Amino acid sequence: MAALRARRLPLVARAPLLAAAMTALVGLVASTLVLTAQARLQEDRLRELVLLHVQGLSVALGPAVLRHDVWEAFDTLERATAAGAGRLALTVVADAAGRIIAASDPRRAPTDTPLDAVASGAQAIGRLAIPRAATRLRVLAPLIHQGRTVGAILTELDVGDLAAQRRAAALWLAAGNGLATLALSLAGWLLMRRALRPLAVLAERMDAGGAPAPIPEGAIPGGDDEAARLMRAYNAMAGAVEARADAERRLAERERFVSLGRLASTLAHEINNPLGGLLNAADTLNRYADRPEVVRASAGLIERGLKRLREVAQATLDHHRLSDAAGPMTPDDFDDLRLLIAPEAARLEQSLDWRVEADPAALARWPAARLRQIALNLLLNASAAAGRGGRLALDVAEAGGALRLAVRDDGPGLDASALARITGESPAPPGGGLGLGVVRDLTRALGGRVAHARDGAETEIAVTLPARRAAP
Amino acid sequence: MGATRRFVLAGCAASASVAAMGPALGGAAFRLGLTPVFLDNDAEIIEALRAALSDSMGAPVAFEQRRSYQEVTGLLLEGAVDAAWLCGFPFLQHEAALSLLAAPVWRGAPLYRSYLIAAADDPARSLDDLAGGAHAFSDPDSNSGWLVTASDLARRGALPERFFSRAIFTWGHRNVVRAVASGLTRSGSVDGYVWEALTEAEPALTARTRVVTQSELMGFPPFAARADRAQTPDLAAFRRALLGLADSGAGRAALALLKLDGMAPAARALYDGIAARMRDVAW
Repeated sequence: MAALRARRLPLVARAPLLAAAMTALVGLVASTLVLTAQARLQEDRLRELVLLHVQGLSVALGPAVLRHDVWEAFDTLERATAAGAGRLALTVVADAAGRIIAASDPRRAPTDTPLDAVASGAQAIGRLAIPRAATRLRVLAPLIHQGRTVGAILTELDVGDLAAQRRAAALWLAAGNGLATLALSLAGWLLMRRALRPLAVLAERMDAGGAPAPIPEGAIPGGDDEAARLMRAYNAMAGAVEARADAERRLAERERFVSLGRLASTLAHEINNPLGGLLNAADTLNRYADRPEVVRASAGLIERGLKRLREVAQATLDHHRLSDAAGPMTPDDFDDLRLLIAPEAARLEQSLDWRVEADPAALARWPAARLRQIALNLLLNASAAAGRGGRLALDVAEAGGALRLAVRDDGPGLDASALARITGESPAPPGGGLGLGVVRDLTRALGGRVAHARDGAETEIAVTLPARRAAP
Repeated sequence: MGATRRFVLAGCAASASVAAMGPALGGAAFRLGLTPVFLDNDAEIIEALRAALSDSMGAPVAFEQRRSYQEVTGLLLEGAVDAAWLCGFPFLQHEAALSLLAAPVWRGAPLYRSYLIAAADDPARSLDDLAGGAHAFSDPDSNSGWLVTASDLARRGALPERFFSRAIFTWGHRNVVRAVASGLTRSGSVDGYVWEALTEAEPALTARTRVVTQSELMGFPPFAARADRAQTPDLAAFRRALLGLADSGAGRAALALLKLDGMAPAARALYDGIAARMRDVAW
């Protein structure tokens, strides 16, 4: 758990923390060794003290114990314990039967009572160990006089100061280790921060506003170390990324112009067609100026022709503004589209199968500008694919609120690049196809999807827009 | 610190006899035997007394100390010492062979008492209350440290070793106080003069004890010599030195350390009380 969380820490914190952990570990091991050595030293000293005490007492007490001389034993014990400089809390001597002869403090260990009553927890002199929290330590040793055991000596030692010494040592070691760990962590952090500053600059510039930004020359460290080389390499890469984005923008712009150029010839036909009718009407007006019904009919013709021209101009403008201000889609927009594509189809002697079976109220849910752009691009593309004498078809149907707009042609079908442009997930690669990328982007913007199907000799590209409420 | 010093001094005292005998090796030193009737553990007191007596006599005085009264009495009887500071009880035991030289004057008279003591928190109010407990005697030849209590018990028809659960000898009045103060024994028989002197010298020690009963006044432990040598010039000079101790500055200083007023001629009648108690324990 902790390791997982640590992995999320920045490197500048992780390295010093690791160093601190290592320092603390080494400190812990060293402290344990020191404390163990201290405890062993204390035990050795105590063992030596007790041994000398017991040996001295054995010599002095032997005859008194043999004679069961209570006063002699007491006098010796009291003097010896007083000479023990506070370390000896109590000394008791018992006969071979385990009955107390005398003690340095007779109130605690009365004469003629069993030694066992005060010897609980007593350790053998050879295996002396100081319990961790003990303030008193009892040691039982045999009283050997002239080569035979004539009794026992119980010594109670006051070891509270030794425990305090160990506590103090542990405290000082802990404080020292803590300080060392803290100092090393701080130094490590400072060092790491210094070493990782170029990385931080890199990370910050890479993330700047979504696109990698070059590092100003002033922020690049001098010399030719790794950091400087890394930053220069990064700057070169950032420059390349910027140049590539520029090229993509220019390509997209060019694609727009290509589509525009294709439209220009269509427009010329479109303007040319009503012009013939308009000239005829003008001629009729000149010829039959005195016949009001003819004048009215001709004026009506001229008006319709001009309106159509205006519509063509408007339709062209709309395509290039991509503005939703054009309002909701109407059946008239499909008429506009037919008006735009028909001349091109006629020029290429293509048959045009036009079927729009959508309720006007349903159509009105989508913005005209985008839907028209989608349909026009698909039709232009299909026309180009079908070639001279080919067949084109537009099929608009509405079902359950969803709108399906399908364009079919009997051309050779889409190549892989064009297919990728219209159905792919990644941004459209530049070049190729007539505004298929635009179709895909607009469809997506409207929440719809583009489907491609090849059925025998026919290619169908169908745009399905999901049901939606009335257009804004 | 005090305890340590005392311990060291006690160690010195153990070899004091050897050191003090130094002048005696010349053959001219006057030899005085000492029983533990006073604060015999304090080398300063002993040296002050020795120096004062030497001054007064105009001749070196050497002290002979022994653990028990019996040993010192033995030294005196066999002539190993010229005189001895004895207890009234051993003097009376060997009355026929000994002669009184002088008796110390304490609180205006050559008299003292025996104290029966117990621990400070002991509720006992009489000897009878102390039955069944351990008891510390000073010396089997001590009046105040044995005879008084033994005769009191004898008057009740009791024996110390039966009346008390255990009776031990500590070979010194100060040791009796130590035994009772430490709880080694419940009660003790001690020289009243020593107990009183200790309350000044070591108040912390006597404060842990209290006096249960006091005996009647009895003759203070006297200085004695063998009767057959009592008229020798040495002993006469020593007797004069004793009686004139209060006349010299060093003598007064030594007496002050001993908490004594001076020395007075001692009459046999002074020890009649002890003699009476001796009769009570006669077997």
